[in-house]
Amino acid sequence: MKQFMMIFIGADYTDLGLSPEEMQHRMGKWFSWGQKMEAAGILRGGEALTPQIRRIAGKERTVTDLTSAEVKEIVGGYYTVEAKDFSAVQEIAKDFPDYDLGGTVEIREIMVFDH
Amino acid sequence: METKLIDHLFRHHSGKMVAVLTRYFGLSNLEIIEDAVQDTFLKASILWRKEQPENPEAWLTKVAKNRILDIFRKLKSEQKHLAEIEKGIAAITIKELFLESEIEDAQLRMIFTACHPKLDSKDQITFALKTIAGFSIKEIASALLMKEETIKKRLLRARNTIKKTNLAFKIPQGKELSQRIERVLNVIYLIFNEGFHSNKKEILIRKELCGEAIRLCKILLKNKHTQISSSYALFALMCFHSARLDSKINTENQLLDLKNQDRNKWSFPLIQLGNTMMHKAVESDEFSTYHYEAAIVAEHIKAPNFEQTNWDKILHWYKRLHELQPSAFHLLTMAVVCIQNKKYVKANYYFKQIHPQDLAQRAYLFYGAKADYFAKINKKKEALKYIDLALDKVTNNLEKEFLKKRKDRFLKNL
Repeated sequence: MKQFMMIFIGADYTDLGLSPEEMQHRMGKWFSWGQKMEAAGILRGGEALTPQIRRIAGKERTVTDLTSAEVKEIVGGYYTVEAKDFSAVQEIAKDFPDYDLGGTVEIREIMVFDH
Repeated sequence: METKLIDHLFRHHSGKMVAVLTRYFGLSNLEIIEDAVQDTFLKASILWRKEQPENPEAWLTKVAKNRILDIFRKLKSEQKHLAEIEKGIAAITIKELFLESEIEDAQLRMIFTACHPKLDSKDQITFALKTIAGFSIKEIASALLMKEETIKKRLLRARNTIKKTNLAFKIPQGKELSQRIERVLNVIYLIFNEGFHSNKKEILIRKELCGEAIRLCKILLKNKHTQISSSYALFALMCFHSARLDSKINTENQLLDLKNQDRNKWSFPLIQLGNTMMHKAVESDEFSTYHYEAAIVAEHIKAPNFEQTNWDKILHWYKRLHELQPSAFHLLTMAVVCIQNKKYVKANYYFKQIHPQDLAQRAYLFYGAKADYFAKINKKKEALKYIDLALDKVTNNLEKEFLKKRKDRFLKNL
């Protein structure tokens, strides 16, 4: 078994003007998805990220503070799961709730070093 | 797997939180309050993906209050007069803030604010749906079949009026109350009608508008100053209408008239509730339009089938309604009732009093009814002429299909 990260990229909820009803609805979907992975025993971890960004770049270590409104796409969170291969994770990612909001799931394998 | 949250918890709680917090922080801070409440739900919707708290409502309240305190602390450095407000906040415990009676009182104040005569009548519904019912701009636009931009403008205008006129967040008393409550009932009924008669194909958003109107009316019935006979009558009317909501459309999403509705699908508990409310409504002798409208719907519901409808009684109630509130729509309905009752001369008497332009976008109903009238008295040419006029005026697709079917029937049978 290998470990993979599903990285969620898209607009931040704050900027989408969702109604309380929609938020509750989405939360329910995320909750079910998490429960499903939990029940399958494949969930290894995951976090949601707040939309504040401090970016440090370049030789000069230039610091910029950004909000989600200033960048089109933002990493909103991630899950780490255990799976056989990319195809298996792709299957899991089918239940990601925010495709209709323009969200993207990026699947990356976590690198393992042989000793 | 299901979450343990009750349906619409966020939406209903959003209206409650905004109302209660406005009670303490004042209408002048409404925007800050609405933003804070929105933030709270955003936070909850992300945190609760993993695990949900034991008492979700208490959690939401606590977070919203803290969020507002944060904002006020930030604002305090800019505006000194906020210090006083903050002192007030410190004295309020969360428990006090969210006692059931406090919530109801605050929501009632918000309803009266939304329906304040200083607000433009078009803005009242929009403001009520946003602030009391917790709809988003997009949801309001979709429910009212309007552009999001229009809704935004209306909300802005309502908020500005509230600020400029320094509107008090209170329930009016004495003489003022009786005038103001009429407007409140009217706004509630308009919201209901948007749902019940809406052209929207999606039945869900329509049902939600109806449900929201009923919920608002329920709040009126819980307060001793607002539980007046017309509030009961409106509640009864909405129950009777709602009882038929599911049977109005068949499985192919086609509109069905009363004649073709499956009466077994009508909701009996809602009819019963409507009856109970109607009994309360007639305890006083003063009847409102809601009394007559409810009496009319009740008469339809009483009939075991379409053929056995008591059209004489229905016509009687319509006459009374028309006396109280003269309208081209009532005249049209009376004409239709007379056709059902095979009293064609009388039907024509009502038709003659109607100017189709008074019916605005619903003028097609007049032409449709006249087509029916001519069909009944075997004047095929006129019947077809009027059904074409109706088809020309109708915009709603469901209604259009309905009229087309009628035209086919005329062509076959006349």
